[in-house]
Amino acid sequence: MSRDGVVVGLIWLILTVAGEALAWNVEFFPSAAADQAIIIDESFAMLVRLAIPVMAFVIAMLVYSALRFRHRGDPLEDGPPTQANKKVMGAWFGVTTALTVLMIINPGITGLNELWELADEPVDMVIEIEGSRFFWRAGYSEYGFSTFSGNPTDELVLPIGAHVRFDITSVDVLHSFWIPAFRMKIDAVPGMTTVVHVRATELGDYRDDINFRVQCAELCGVLHGQMTMPVRVVTQLEFEAWVTTKQ
Amino acid sequence: MAALSAFKAIGRGLLGAAIGLAIGWGLALLLGAAIPADDATIRKPQVIIAVGYLFALIGWLLGVGLWSGWAREWLRLPTMELTETDWRRYFRFSLDHKVIGLQYLVTFVVLMLLAGVLALVVRVELATPGEDILGADGFNTVMGLHGIMMIAVAVATITGGLANYLVPLMIGAEDVAFPRVNALSYWIVPPVAILLILTPFFGGFDTGWTAYPPLSVVNANGQLLFLLAFLTFGLSSIFGGLNFTTTILKLRAPGMTLMRMPIFVWSVLGASLIAVTATQFVAFGLLMVILDRVVGTSFFDASKGGDPLLYEHIFWFYSHPAVYVMILPGFGIELEVISHFSRKPLFGYKYVVGSILAIVFLSMIVWAHHLFTSGMQDFLLIPFMATTEVISIPTGVIFLAALATMWRGRLRLTTAMLFAIGVVFNFLIGGVTGIFLADVPTDIHLQENYFTVAHFHYTIMGGEIFMIMAGLYYWFPKITGRMFSETLGKLHFVTMFVFFQLTFLPMFWVGMQGMNRRVADYNVEFGDLNQIISIMSYLLGASFIFMVINMVRAWFGGERAVGNPWGARTLEWQTTSPPPVENFDAPPEVTGDPYGYGTPEAPAHSSPATGTVGN
Ligand SMILES: [Cu+2]
Ligand SMILES: [Cu+2]
Repeated sequence: MSRDGVVVGLIWLILTVAGEALAWNVEFFPSAAADQAIIIDESFAMLVRLAIPVMAFVIAMLVYSALRFRHRGDPLEDGPPTQANKKVMGAWFGVTTALTVLMIINPGITGLNELWELADEPVDMVIEIEGSRFFWRAGYSEYGFSTFSGNPTDELVLPIGAHVRFDITSVDVLHSFWIPAFRMKIDAVPGMTTVVHVRATELGDYRDDINFRVQCAELCGVLHGQMTMPVRVVTQLEFEAWVTTKQ
Repeated sequence: MAALSAFKAIGRGLLGAAIGLAIGWGLALLLGAAIPADDATIRKPQVIIAVGYLFALIGWLLGVGLWSGWAREWLRLPTMELTETDWRRYFRFSLDHKVIGLQYLVTFVVLMLLAGVLALVVRVELATPGEDILGADGFNTVMGLHGIMMIAVAVATITGGLANYLVPLMIGAEDVAFPRVNALSYWIVPPVAILLILTPFFGGFDTGWTAYPPLSVVNANGQLLFLLAFLTFGLSSIFGGLNFTTTILKLRAPGMTLMRMPIFVWSVLGASLIAVTATQFVAFGLLMVILDRVVGTSFFDASKGGDPLLYEHIFWFYSHPAVYVMILPGFGIELEVISHFSRKPLFGYKYVVGSILAIVFLSMIVWAHHLFTSGMQDFLLIPFMATTEVISIPTGVIFLAALATMWRGRLRLTTAMLFAIGVVFNFLIGGVTGIFLADVPTDIHLQENYFTVAHFHYTIMGGEIFMIMAGLYYWFPKITGRMFSETLGKLHFVTMFVFFQLTFLPMFWVGMQGMNRRVADYNVEFGDLNQIISIMSYLLGASFIFMVINMVRAWFGGERAVGNPWGARTLEWQTTSPPPVENFDAPPEVTGDPYGYGTPEAPAHSSPATGTVGN
């Protein structure tokens, strides 16, 4: 092993350790308020842990080379005629392929399967969501009413711990139903019903945390940015009380 | 009068466009009578726009030179050859690839600066929450124009500009295979620019550059102008791809085997193969939207049996590969610059060639990663996640080639080299964050928020635009015959690199915290970071002042450049700067490796001898 190689190896090690330590201590996301959000945040953290050594390697090589091999003498002096050898190419190919397969399996397929398993659990409640330019309507048909974001006081309210399935559609153009606190998102498509499953695990209120909001996430025209609806996660008792005020 | 005569062709083109527009308009009025009365108020103006534009486009092309320089031949009339050799030929229907290359370069660098100004307007609006200067409607149009103009810049600056100028030189050819198609592909661009500039006067368009129906079917007529512009630009791209594929496969100098081609030529071949195979899809998608608007079909209207998701599939079937039409030639420039300024052979040349071809193939089977949250069938998620992430393997080989070529080299940190090194860093961030969007669970949250915006700016601006800069500085002496100031060039690099990071790194964070993209207004909680982003973006914009001053000054008063100021081995440097009309004084013969640095006894890449400063 050459001296240059040892030094780059050391820089790589230091950057990797520092990066991983930093990543453990950073809160990447606002509070995760649903089982689904926990899976997605965990997937994100897993990818960060995998990415740090890769990034550290490229940065170490790049910065070291640019400083150490800078040449100020005869501009036509050639470097060594190094050619690619099978060993280096094979090692690189092996490592990148292994990392890629790992990423696909975990968090990719693993995380997705966890989300699908949650969706397969018995549903406690269905809320029908209808997007229209530039409002959301949330239908609570089992209770016989709906709320509409065009009314200033209307909200989307769900009880904590309940498995809620949102059946989503649109009456005009594409919209996208996204609640950042739950991390979940799916487009509202005219002529089609899409679904999102959520089991809220934290109480929350739009007034304290803006991530408790439905935000349209597919450009739908002039007021797209304002196409939001406040979200509240409440206890079962509070939910029942809220329902009676609406009926 | 000499000055005026330069614009004769453009004048004739405009006259042709006016006549075409009149004919089209008249025809549209006749056709319009067939529209059912309840639809007429909406559809009649659109029929006039579409048919009027079609004829105006034909009139423009015939007037500007297609008739005098080409179509006359079909009637067995003599075509008029262009005789000017001074600056006036740059305003004419010239067939010389170097003239066309420069026409492309100047047009698209100007377009890039304009689209950059639009980005700054967007950032002024976003500096504080609430609607400030544009209003929500104006915001959508400005943002969409910024998007589509930068897409065009990213596609055409290299493949239309640099590749046009350099590929024939680098393979030792006198010109491209189809010079007239080449000229056509350039002269079809001004109508695109005019249509885009006119969109605000027709109510703008509020779909962004992706133009998803149903919105793009039902909104203002500015959308129709946008669709026609995009469709026309696609045509230009197909012509370009056709031309370069043929040129590279058929017109190489004797001895220029495929495996002796400079890597830039390989990368242009890869991009051209994508352009000729995938562009038709987006063209057809756009045409279907136009038909829905103008003729009243219902390809995308669910209430009449159409399917909005269909468009998303067709659109991304092209628009993901299009990313590689932009990036592949950029990789080519990056590796070219790194090898010559490290004075070492390109590490793993044949593996890089293999990776380029692998990317061409893989780019065609990943499109649905843009549809993970679109409501498409669940069983498509895992396959498209897998194909997308597999692209990181060939991309990794390109990274290795860049790093290993620099290793133990004799690095000359010229402006071009600094930009090439900067690309490695920026594309690393862009590539790694791409994984988060390719992995379905994380994409569910990050799709359509500012994380996505930051990611694609790291690849397209931090990658592609930095690559274009590396190429512009590297080949500037060849193209203009003048040397620029390295000091100003390095100032440009340092300021652009630093303020680029400070503009786009915080965007990842605001996205993760829940801010979505394509909005004029946002929650006050995101205000502080957005203000910082805006201020940094102004400084990023200002960094281009160094480039403009440097290049304008050098072009009109810089020191004369010798044939081979960098002492590089490849063919384009073995002729004068700028090259004569026929490119080389004597037809070159290729005898060796383009990257044979460090082996004194290695045969030169070409005869006459290579690798020395001067000439
Ligand atoms: Cu929207
Ligand atoms: Cu893509």
